[in-house]
Amino acid sequence: MKIERAAVIGAGVMGAGIAAHFANAGIPCVLLDIPAKEGDRSAIAKGAVAKMLKTDPAPFMHPKNARLITPGNLEDDLNLLADVDWIVEAIVENPAIKADLYTRIDPVRKAGSVVSSNTSTIPLAVLTGGQSERFAQDFLITHFFNPPRYMRLLEIVGGPATRTDALAAIADVCDRRLGKGVVHCKDTPGFIANRIGVFWIQAAVNAAVDLGLTVEEADAVGGRPMGIPKTGVFGLMDLVGLDLMPHIAKSMLATLPAGDAYREQVREHAVITRMIADGYIGRKGKGGFYRINKAGGGKVKESVDLKTGAYAPSEKARLDSVSSAGRDLRKLCEHPDKGGRFARRVLAQTLAYAASLVPEIADSIVAVDEGMRLGYNWKQGPFELIDRLGSVWFAELCRSEGIPVPALIETAAGRPFYRVEDGKLQHLTTGGVYDTVVRPDGVLLLSDVKRAAGKPVWKNGSASLWDIGDGVLCVEFTSKMNAVDADIMAAYGKAMGLVGDGKGVWKALVIHNEADNFSVGANLGLALFALNIGLWPQIEEMVEGGQRTYRALKYAPFPVVAAPSGMALGGGCEILLHSDHVQAHAETYVGLVEVGVGLIPAWGGCTEMLARHQANPKAPRGPMPGIAKAFEIISTATVAKSAAEAKELLYFRATDGITMNRDRLLADAKAKALELAENYTPPEKTTAYVLPGPSAKAAMELAVEGFALQGKVTPHDKVVCAALADVLSGGDSDVSKPVGEDHVLRLEREAFMGLVHTTGTIDRIEHMLLTGKPLRN
Amino acid sequence: MPIYKAPLEDVRFVLDEIVGLDKLSALPGYEEATPELVGQVLEEGAKLCEEVLFPLNQSGDGEGCHFENGVVRTPKGFKEAYATYIEAGWQGLACDPAYGGQGLPKLVNIMLEEFICSANLSFGMYPGLSLGAYNALSMYGSDELKQRFLPKLVDGTWSGTMCLTEPHCGTDLGIIRTKAVPDEQGGYTITGTKIFISAGEHDLTENILHLVLARLPDAPAGTRGISLFLVPKFLAKEDGTPGALNGVACGSIEHKMGIKASSTCVMNFEDATGWLVGEPHKGMRAMFVMMNAARLAVGIQGLGLSEVSYQNAVNYARERLQGRSLSGVKAPDKPADPIIVHPDVRKNLMTARAYTEGARALGALVAYHLDVAERHADPRTKRDSDEFVQLMTPIVKALFTDIGFESANIAVQVHGGHGFIWETGVEQYVRDARICQIYEGTNGIQALDLVGRKLPQDMGRLLRHFFHPVGRDIEAGMEDDELGEFVMPLAKAFAKLQQATALIAQKGLKDPEEAGAAASDYLRLFGLVALGWSWLTMVKAAKAKLAAGDGNAAFYEAKITTARFYMAKLLPQVNSLFITITAGAKPLMELEDAAF
Repeated sequence: MKIERAAVIGAGVMGAGIAAHFANAGIPCVLLDIPAKEGDRSAIAKGAVAKMLKTDPAPFMHPKNARLITPGNLEDDLNLLADVDWIVEAIVENPAIKADLYTRIDPVRKAGSVVSSNTSTIPLAVLTGGQSERFAQDFLITHFFNPPRYMRLLEIVGGPATRTDALAAIADVCDRRLGKGVVHCKDTPGFIANRIGVFWIQAAVNAAVDLGLTVEEADAVGGRPMGIPKTGVFGLMDLVGLDLMPHIAKSMLATLPAGDAYREQVREHAVITRMIADGYIGRKGKGGFYRINKAGGGKVKESVDLKTGAYAPSEKARLDSVSSAGRDLRKLCEHPDKGGRFARRVLAQTLAYAASLVPEIADSIVAVDEGMRLGYNWKQGPFELIDRLGSVWFAELCRSEGIPVPALIETAAGRPFYRVEDGKLQHLTTGGVYDTVVRPDGVLLLSDVKRAAGKPVWKNGSASLWDIGDGVLCVEFTSKMNAVDADIMAAYGKAMGLVGDGKGVWKALVIHNEADNFSVGANLGLALFALNIGLWPQIEEMVEGGQRTYRALKYAPFPVVAAPSGMALGGGCEILLHSDHVQAHAETYVGLVEVGVGLIPAWGGCTEMLARHQANPKAPRGPMPGIAKAFEIISTATVAKSAAEAKELLYFRATDGITMNRDRLLADAKAKALELAENYTPPEKTTAYVLPGPSAKAAMELAVEGFALQGKVTPHDKVVCAALADVLSGGDSDVSKPVGEDHVLRLEREAFMGLVHTTGTIDRIEHMLLTGKPLRN
Repeated sequence: MPIYKAPLEDVRFVLDEIVGLDKLSALPGYEEATPELVGQVLEEGAKLCEEVLFPLNQSGDGEGCHFENGVVRTPKGFKEAYATYIEAGWQGLACDPAYGGQGLPKLVNIMLEEFICSANLSFGMYPGLSLGAYNALSMYGSDELKQRFLPKLVDGTWSGTMCLTEPHCGTDLGIIRTKAVPDEQGGYTITGTKIFISAGEHDLTENILHLVLARLPDAPAGTRGISLFLVPKFLAKEDGTPGALNGVACGSIEHKMGIKASSTCVMNFEDATGWLVGEPHKGMRAMFVMMNAARLAVGIQGLGLSEVSYQNAVNYARERLQGRSLSGVKAPDKPADPIIVHPDVRKNLMTARAYTEGARALGALVAYHLDVAERHADPRTKRDSDEFVQLMTPIVKALFTDIGFESANIAVQVHGGHGFIWETGVEQYVRDARICQIYEGTNGIQALDLVGRKLPQDMGRLLRHFFHPVGRDIEAGMEDDELGEFVMPLAKAFAKLQQATALIAQKGLKDPEEAGAAASDYLRLFGLVALGWSWLTMVKAAKAKLAAGDGNAAFYEAKITTARFYMAKLLPQVNSLFITITAGAKPLMELEDAAF
């Protein structure tokens, strides 16, 4: 069955966010809520959409996506449901109210349409109980995570009566069009992620209180060292809201099996109860375990004392266990200090709990790990963590903590839960045998390719070249933060040499990696060091060499397809501008941010943006509009907040592609590369830049003056903008004599070298490297 | 008998042309440091050194200090010399007028210190240690503590020491054992043993103030748990004069290779009363802040010894007649030519001369920035100067003390067999110079400080304060044809320095042992380039003076000639140093411990 149109009932935070995400996927969506008592009866849904347009982080990938939502109310607009293939119910977690709603929508919905609930606490059986047979067949649970645009986990639960084709269709839409990681769960309380997550949070809080850790210490141990986001547990609770925790606990206790270990963990902590009563519910309130104290005009970060409930300035955790263990989890657990004891206890309890839940909550360990990774942003799921500790060592840990060793650990009998066999990733089943980890149809993961190949085709300190099949070569960045340095340029050179004319073994090049961020730009640390010791020729060569390499890629006799996800900034953006095609993950954040460090894009970024904006058919005629737009975007270091927005800024072309599901990015990029390889011809050189020269420069400087009067421009901003204006105006050119690419690239080099000699720029680079924040000098 | 005459003309040249005395008196609070006043001060200081301190140098070495019943007697004449020294107010030359000092710039004091070190290094230890104690107390002491102790420290009635080292730790102060326990009166009771304490005990002053590093009862482990205390030898009476003996005693003094007239003591603290200087557990941080000045001072000791060694070598080379010049008889009416005509002797003399004069100019520049860092009105300028000083002090300390030792050995060599004889007076300089390469952080430690701390700090920010000005001067110098023979060698050496720096930064990031292995060679390379820069600056100044017809033409010609020697004969060492640096750590570390 095909899902072309959707509806969401309930315009609260989750419901509205889900509707927005349907819109992001290009799926028209009806959004209904109860009628307002006064005025516009659809005010609630309309208001929700308006609010989302102002929310940051934005639920909409592009503001125009809001047009795909049709707001209405449940009395006047029920008829709109007749047209819809999938209805998502996201109203209050009350079985009676939900039942009432289902009864009302069942008769008016399209035949064969699917109804799913976003419930997190009510069993499916309860939801379908009292509804028609037909309803039960069309019903399933789709549990989105907050916020629906960004959180990749989608827990899907089918009931005993649910049609297999419906389940498959919804899973497919969530995967391909909504870009979610779909995990099939059993109909158990909290499904997978929250079942384990809620336990983990409670266990960690109990351990922190019992062992006398401060909130900072607990978050320091229970965060990065375990591959868990640095918010740890207390920071996470502040984000989720402390006031929700008692409700979640209550609902879990009501539905969990009798002997479930969570029951032993649940505890009320007087300090926390009082915090909730006093309004310290977290980020949505006046703070929670952490707060910002603005008394006396200052901004002091404070944290609560878990014993007394009093607030005091937050002190960075200093635990020997954390500083000495590094990434070694065993070492962390073996350390005698309270950090080590905390780690032992929390890991033992949480991982044992998770291990004991298979097959109760899911058929395979893979689903459990994926749930925790995608739902809680853990770098590794519970079974991957047990493998890191070693299952025998872990069993011993359980025994020493007085926890029964889960059956699955015994089944493992010392073997790892994951292993690589014949280049394939395998997982241990509940039956005690290994099974290959199956990827959804059409998914190509670079990590699978790497596992199968063992060794890359070639590699150096910052990049590896991989054969991703069918004659396509993939360049993977491996430098820290995927920063672009001389080694990456060398890797491009090597790749181009291998592919040659594209008619031999290799047909095309794909640039892709699986890190959180595609690339954050040039390696500034190396650049700064070279600056500090006055190695100007080396810096100039770095600029010129980069220009040469990017241009060679642009005009190579074979297709170059970049497949970015996450941040692609500065030099990491410029490579995209020089690719034949960009196949971007929807959540790609691309921008030329060089001005933030007192520089201008000098690897062809200015040249490319100028060409695109001057050639933009939607812009007014003449040379200036394009120049002005390019100037505006670059001088303000504009970073697109989605691939869709990037298209509007012309960081991406209209022909570039967007993939919603990150796991499908490489496959899409490879397919495009092969498509382009058929009868490929390199792009034409933009030989004619019409650049007005000094008059254009004057216009840009006037614009800067305007901003200066508003107090938005700092002294060094002026210097940098002047250098940028030198480039974009064409320098000493004039409209009657169009110039070539070489001219503009030379201007980029000169402007860059001029800036790099200034104290203001050196200060900016240094500040960014030392603090991670731009210097507004 | 050795000779010494303070090199006033060269010091004037350096102060006027390299630093610019007008820039000094432009600093807030230094308005009185006019060229006239500075000139007078240095002339008077020179006289003191030549007439009062220098005559005691050899006798002090012969006699040494004596220890008996807890009392240390300095050699004959030292007590009187010290009295003369403090009477004229020399101790407080650069100290805060609020406490009785004269408030002159540190640069002036440092130029004077060179003279003292040339004249009598052992003597110089006593006021030198007092200045160290003064710095610690004035920077970190409470107002109350400062009022009580600074005035007599400044006027020299009392002297001071720095008590850091213990029998089991010198370099690694994180493991000191001396304890401090709070007493009921707001003070502390200090117990422990310190060794190698210069001026720990002597007969020059009525009281001695010890600045002692110790651990408080609740102190964290390592260097983060060290505090600084003031422990006087005598506790004060009501009227402020020294009264009862505190729990401080000298256990013994060392019999040393050199600086024999400096009393190097084992100090035993037993329930001694003391007061906290600065904040609890912040003692090491206080030490680090003072380290710049202390290391600079030791570098100047090296410079002083280099100068006096050079003077004596020249003196002997002019008088000693042996053999005939290879290029034809130079003194036909004498039985032989003075040995100064021989190339090998020339090489030795020119080497000592080029190193000494180069070091004087470089040292003055660094000392000037010490004053800027403290006094300049603009915070950015202050910070930049402070960072320049931080960068250069390990180089000044290690390079200048190596130069001191090398020049002293040159003096002995030039003197032939007579150099080996104590009475001649030059072998003492070798023995005195040796400790300067060791204390205040061994030269190996200085090299590690340079590559391990200063170089990587903030991605090389400290380096900028050297590399950018040098780069600019080279670029500007390239435009001037007349400077070619000076700029080209410097440019090549500078390029090698840049490459070596980039290489060590890159390799050192991945493997700290690589940085450690290259450290000493790198420091030397850096120092040679720095001296080359000083020489270029001096050549430009000398040429300008010659062109203007100003002053002593012969002096400026000699500067240019010596610069030529430096560029042609000494600076090229950077090439072999660069090669050894690129050879990496492996050849160094490969041999198994057991095979040694």
